[in-house]
Amino acid sequence: MPIVGAFCVSINREICINAKMPGKCATCADVCPHNVYALDLANGEMNVQNFNACVGCRICAEFCPANAIRINPAEPEYYTRYPWTFSTIEEIHYKAQTGEYMLRGFGTTGQTPNFDMITVVPSQIASPSPRDKYREECDMEVIIGEDTCEQPMVLKQPFVWPAMSFGALSKEAKLALAIAAAQTGIATNTGEGGLLPEEVWLSHGYSDSRATKRTWDPGGYVVIQWSTGRWGVSADYLNAGDAVEVKIGQGAKPGMGGHLLGAKVTEEVSRVRGVPVGSDALSPCRYYDVQSLDDIKHMVAFIRDVTDNQKPILFKLGPSRPYADVAACIEAGADAISLDGLVGGTGCSPDAVTQGVGIPTIACIPPAVQALKDHGVHHKVKLIALGGIRNGLDAYKALALGADAVGFGSAAEVALGCRVCYACHKGNCPYGITSQKPEFRSRLDPVEGGRRLANFIHACSEEVKILTMLSGHVSIKELSPEDLRAMDLNTAAMTGLKLVGYDRSLPMWENGYAVQQGGGNGHN
Amino acid sequence: MVTRNVNSLSLHEVNTYLRSTANGAPLEVNHADQLHGLAAGMKHGEIIINGDAGDYLGVLNAGATIRVTRDTGNYLADNMTNGTVIVDGNAGFGAAQYCYGGTVVIRGNAGDFTGTMNKGAVILINGDVGDDVGTYMLKGDLIVIGNAGDHFANYLIRGTIFLGGECRSLGHNTKLAPLNEDDLARLQGYFEKYGIQADPAKFKKFIAASEKPFYH
Repeated sequence: MPIVGAFCVSINREICINAKMPGKCATCADVCPHNVYALDLANGEMNVQNFNACVGCRICAEFCPANAIRINPAEPEYYTRYPWTFSTIEEIHYKAQTGEYMLRGFGTTGQTPNFDMITVVPSQIASPSPRDKYREECDMEVIIGEDTCEQPMVLKQPFVWPAMSFGALSKEAKLALAIAAAQTGIATNTGEGGLLPEEVWLSHGYSDSRATKRTWDPGGYVVIQWSTGRWGVSADYLNAGDAVEVKIGQGAKPGMGGHLLGAKVTEEVSRVRGVPVGSDALSPCRYYDVQSLDDIKHMVAFIRDVTDNQKPILFKLGPSRPYADVAACIEAGADAISLDGLVGGTGCSPDAVTQGVGIPTIACIPPAVQALKDHGVHHKVKLIALGGIRNGLDAYKALALGADAVGFGSAAEVALGCRVCYACHKGNCPYGITSQKPEFRSRLDPVEGGRRLANFIHACSEEVKILTMLSGHVSIKELSPEDLRAMDLNTAAMTGLKLVGYDRSLPMWENGYAVQQGGGNGHN
Repeated sequence: MVTRNVNSLSLHEVNTYLRSTANGAPLEVNHADQLHGLAAGMKHGEIIINGDAGDYLGVLNAGATIRVTRDTGNYLADNMTNGTVIVDGNAGFGAAQYCYGGTVVIRGNAGDFTGTMNKGAVILINGDVGDDVGTYMLKGDLIVIGNAGDHFANYLIRGTIFLGGECRSLGHNTKLAPLNEDDLARLQGYFEKYGIQADPAKFKKFIAASEKPFYH
């Protein structure tokens, strides 16, 4: 569903400063990046001139000195006219007027299968006793590339910041992610928009390039992405980070390359990407220099060679055919596989693709795990689950389904202040997270943003610890699907988890995923 | 001149040897056609490959001069940022893609998708080229002395593409432009430097119809 017409803007004129003293306040019009408000210059009155333009970012409500603005979802429309909601009607009008399809930022909306219908099974008397979260240790460490490279990544917690590019995100947001990675011992990721020099030392915990003592402990990592657009890529670029991620696809738009609209291609972004200022930078959907899996293997071989076998190599996949795709990544020599689900985030994507293409994250993990098991590399080649993971509870469920770590992409943006208005592509993010405009970027302080992100990670980490230990485990490596139950038939069918009440897997899962799918090789 | 047979060595062994040795006299390498990614990420030195070479030759080259005496496989000089790669024979699919700088000279023919997403290199092909050559080029010069296939200069954004012969069809967002004095001097300079017999005045020049093509 598009975002137009989804919100009702109301001003309480009894407390609005402008209503009481016309012309004395125009904060809402000043901060709104979408021209929802207009000040009538003749009489000084503030008016809502364009309801449809409101994307629900709530920056006006946040800045209003009198707290006089309310932004409410136009929910009744969805119920009374569904499926011909006001948004749908507006979308059709837009297409009829312009001949253009809708674009959207952030990700999928509406109901899709997610972790909510999975419940955690606590330990009682019949299984190993619960562990004491407050007085006992829990091993949260994840090592990527332990057996294959000289300098493996040792994540202190089973989390990563997934690939989000400079260009899609502001410089301040990128630096905040790097600072938070350093504070929590996890990894940030360049995405495909090139490497900001600061990302290297900030992610390692140093406040500047010459510092010899860490400002932020324990220090984290930066993953360098090798993508289809190859923006800013060189041998030095590959060697600047701690790991290399080969991007095959992403959850929000599997089968398509990165979209960066001209509104966000500033001088600085243009320098990194080589596209003219203001021009759309649309990455290819595939590698022009790959035509077969053998080529991918050669690519991995020369990346390992250029990085002198020092760094782990990750693959990033969109949600397509998880078993076969993961098997191909294993064959290509991956040390870790980031598998993004349907609700994975994006800076910009065609609406139809984000909403309607791909497999939900919970349905991606079991076949991916089965592929890893069938190749004898489960927990050796690490599986990083991405896509719609919101908190420690979701993270725990992904880990228990068989992932080794999870990524918080959209959740990271929200932790930075995002209100999920689905308009990242317009370049007017009022919180300075996905905008390149100085007036918006100045609202985001990288150090404060880093603190918020680190707090979020610490909180989620504690949640995972609580859940791990109440399940009777002292390490996330001990988690298994036995620690979970599906609460409805759909979830049981998609995941192979035991169904509550029935306390068994559904019959179609009795022999395991791979056998049901003909070994997983018949997907093509 | 140091010559080494590399048919029994792994890619990393050969490239480590090349990176650590290629400082002074040119290095000659024999029997390297089974290696894909040879001379990857070289920063300096001069390497001569006798015979054929495999795929991804000179990938991520950052300053070395690499010459191949016969043909190369696919993806020659992929993602090069600096240096020179010269092929005396033909090059396969996708030569000189994703290059940020440097020079690639192919004395024979080159395959489809040559020069795709060129971001600043000079690419010279003395023979004919396949389809989709120069796709999504963002900067640099691409010169084809012979003929080209379909969708030539497809989705050109910036940079200049010169064609000495004919193309079967032109790609999207590209237009013919008149040669100017600077173009003629630039072409003459390339031809003299690399010993190519051609008359710059007979070339057609293609530039982007729009730097901001309509995508949606």
